[in-house]
Amino acid sequence: MIEGIYEPHHTRGDLHLACDVVVIGSGAGGATVAATLAEAGLDTIVLEEGPLYETKEYSANIPEMLTKLMRGGGSTVTMGRSPVPYLEGRCVGGTTVVNGGMCWRTPERILDEWVDDRGLHHLSAKRLDPHFEEVERTIDARHQDPGSEGRVNDLFYKGATNLGWKLSQNKRNQRHCVGSNDCVTGCPSGAKRSTLYSWLPRFFARGGRLYTHTKVKKILTERGRAVGVTGELQDPYRKRRFRVRARAVVVACGAVQTPLLLQRNRLCRGSGHVGQNFTIHPNVKLAAKFDTEVNSLRGAHQAWQCTEFVNEGILLAPGAIPLAFMSAIFPLFGQALAEKMRDYRFIATGGVLVDDSASGYIRALPFGIPHIHYDVTDVDQEKFVRAAALLAELYFAAGAKEVYTAFHHFPVLKSPDDIKRLYAHPPRVEDTEYFTAHLMGTCRMSSDPTQGVVDPDGRAWDVPGLYIADASVLPGTIGVNPQVTIMAIARLIALQLGERLLANRAA
Amino acid sequence: MSNFVLRGYTRRIARAVVDAMVPRWPELDVDMTDDVLAQVEDTIRGYPIGIQMGVLAMLYGVEFGGPITMSGVKPFSWLTREEAEARLAKVGDHKVPQVRMMPMLLKLMVGFAAYSRPDVEEFLGAPRRAWRKDRQNFREDLVRIDDLEPSPSVPTPLGGEPLATPETYLEFTEGRKGPVLDAAANGGSGS
Repeated sequence: MIEGIYEPHHTRGDLHLACDVVVIGSGAGGATVAATLAEAGLDTIVLEEGPLYETKEYSANIPEMLTKLMRGGGSTVTMGRSPVPYLEGRCVGGTTVVNGGMCWRTPERILDEWVDDRGLHHLSAKRLDPHFEEVERTIDARHQDPGSEGRVNDLFYKGATNLGWKLSQNKRNQRHCVGSNDCVTGCPSGAKRSTLYSWLPRFFARGGRLYTHTKVKKILTERGRAVGVTGELQDPYRKRRFRVRARAVVVACGAVQTPLLLQRNRLCRGSGHVGQNFTIHPNVKLAAKFDTEVNSLRGAHQAWQCTEFVNEGILLAPGAIPLAFMSAIFPLFGQALAEKMRDYRFIATGGVLVDDSASGYIRALPFGIPHIHYDVTDVDQEKFVRAAALLAELYFAAGAKEVYTAFHHFPVLKSPDDIKRLYAHPPRVEDTEYFTAHLMGTCRMSSDPTQGVVDPDGRAWDVPGLYIADASVLPGTIGVNPQVTIMAIARLIALQLGERLLANRAA
Repeated sequence: MSNFVLRGYTRRIARAVVDAMVPRWPELDVDMTDDVLAQVEDTIRGYPIGIQMGVLAMLYGVEFGGPITMSGVKPFSWLTREEAEARLAKVGDHKVPQVRMMPMLLKLMVGFAAYSRPDVEEFLGAPRRAWRKDRQNFREDLVRIDDLEPSPSVPTPLGGEPLATPETYLEFTEGRKGPVLDAAANGGSGS
C-alpha cells in the first residue's frame, strides 16, 4: 500500500469523512490543487473514481491497458459532422498517466488575449511565471536525454530543417525517458512524471489522503453553499457509499466530467455556460513511408514541434506510436491492412494540431447519459488541409516516398505534386478522421459572471464554497498541449483558496 | 467490470467480423481468430453498458446493413472471408461518416488485439515486449548513476553516459550489460 492511498479493501463499510477541502479528481488539476493545499497545512482529501495502477502493473497488452486506464476503455468519442475519438484517463493520475508528456507553457499571445479581452489579470505571463516554474520543477519538465529521440523525431527534424522551418525542442515531464514509446498505455519504464509520481507524493508527504474507486454523485449544499460530497464507493464485493464534509469542494474531473457532474447536480446554472465553449484541439494524423528504416518502436513519442506556422494556429509534430496504434491509421481492413503493415519499420507518424475556432457542448441527458457534441467548422477545416499539406511537404523534404493522410477520399500522396491536388480538391470535414486528447473550456473562467462559470480565483460564481480547477476553466483554446497550463492555473487557484481558508481559520 | 459474454448469433457475427479483420501472412502460420475474439470480448466487457449496447448495434449493423449501405444483400456472417473483407472495405468507404465509423470502430478493437500480439509484433519487426524489458533495465541503471550525483536542474537533459552514447542510446543493452553495471557500481566514472 502506498501511504495515503486508500483502496476499497483498505476500509470497511460506508465512509464518513471530514476535512478542510475535498478535491474530486487526481489528474493534472486535482493533484496539483491537493498538493498545494496540503503543503499550506490544510487537511485535504482527494476522491478518484478510477483505480490505482503503478508502473509495475502497466503491461504490454494494449487492449487490457486501455480498459484499465481509460474512461470507457478508450471508446470515448464526440458526436458531430465527423465523430472525434478522444482519450480521457480514469485512474489515479488521470490523463497525465496516458498522455504523451509534452510540457509547454501557455503561449504569451494567448495569455495577453485573456488579460486584454477577458479581464483575467491573474493570468498574465508575469503572474503565472512562478507557477509555471514550480510546475516544471515538480514534474521534471526537461528535454530528452541525448540520443533518446529516435528516427521518427530525427526525420521530422531533418524535413523541417531542410525547409528552413522553425523548430522547438519539446520539454517533457520525464526523467530518463529511454525511448520505450509506449506513453499512451502507461510509461513502462517509470520515466514519465505523471501526477502519480510528481504532485501526489508531495501531497502524501503532507498527510494527504486519496480514496480510489470513489464515484461522486452529489455535491452537498446547505443554504446554497457547497459543504461536501456523497457518492458510491465502487467496491467489487458489496455496494458501499461515502460522504465527505468539507469547508470547500474542488471539482477537478476534467473538461468532460466536470460539467456533467455540475449539470446532474443542477449547479452553476446562472450563466448558462456549464458544458458550453467546449474546445478540443482536434488533430489529424499523417504517416510517411521512407526507403530507410524508421523503427517507431525505439524513441520518444514526440521530441520536437514545428512552430513555423504557429501564428496561423497550426502546429506540426512527429508522434511515434506503437504498432497496434499504427494499424488504426490506415483506412484498410483484413489482408489489405496486413500487407500495408509489413512496411511498419519504414513508416514515421506525425500529426497536425489546429487552434479550433469552433466550440461544442456537453450535456447530461436523462439517466446520466452524456451527450458530447463537437463540429469542426469549415474555417478550421481549411487550416487542417493546409496543415496536413505542410506536414506532407516536410516529410517529402525528409525523403518520404509516400505520405498517408487522414482524408477519406485522398488517402495517399505519392509526390509533392499531389499536395497541389490536395489544395485543389480540399477534403470535407465529413471525410476527415480526427483525434484529440486536449479537451478544454466547458466551465470557463471569466471576470464577468454572465460570461463564465468561475471567477478569476476559480470560485463558482453561483455556489460559494465550490471551486473548479481543471481544463474546463481554461478561458479558450491555447494552441499547445495543455497539462502545464492546467497545473499552473490549478496551483494559482489552490494558493488563493488556501490563503482564504487559513485566514478564515485564524479569524 | 460487467459479466458481458458474446452468445449465440451475436457471437457468430462477432467471429465473422474478427475473422475478416485479423491479419494473415504466409510466413506466420497462426490462426488468431479465436484468441482475438476472446480479447475483443474482454475489451467489450470493460466498456460501460451504453458502449456495450453500441458495439452490439454496430455488429448487427454490419450483419444486416448490406442493403442499406448498398454493399450486398447477404448477412455478413454468411459471406466467405474474401467477400466479407470486400464488404467491410465497401462499408468503410461509405459517404456517410457515421456509417463508415461502424467497421472502423470494430477495426480498432480487433486491430489493437491482433497487432499487439507478441507473435505479430515480432513478425513485423517490433519486439515490443523485449524492448520494454530492456528499457526498464537500462533506465534502472541510469537512475542508479543519477543517485550517485545530483540531477541537473530542469530543463537540462540528463545524460546517458557512461552507459550509452547518443549513438548507442536506443540500442538493445544486452551486449553492453557487464561494463554498464560495473560503471554504475563504480560511481558512473567512464565506460
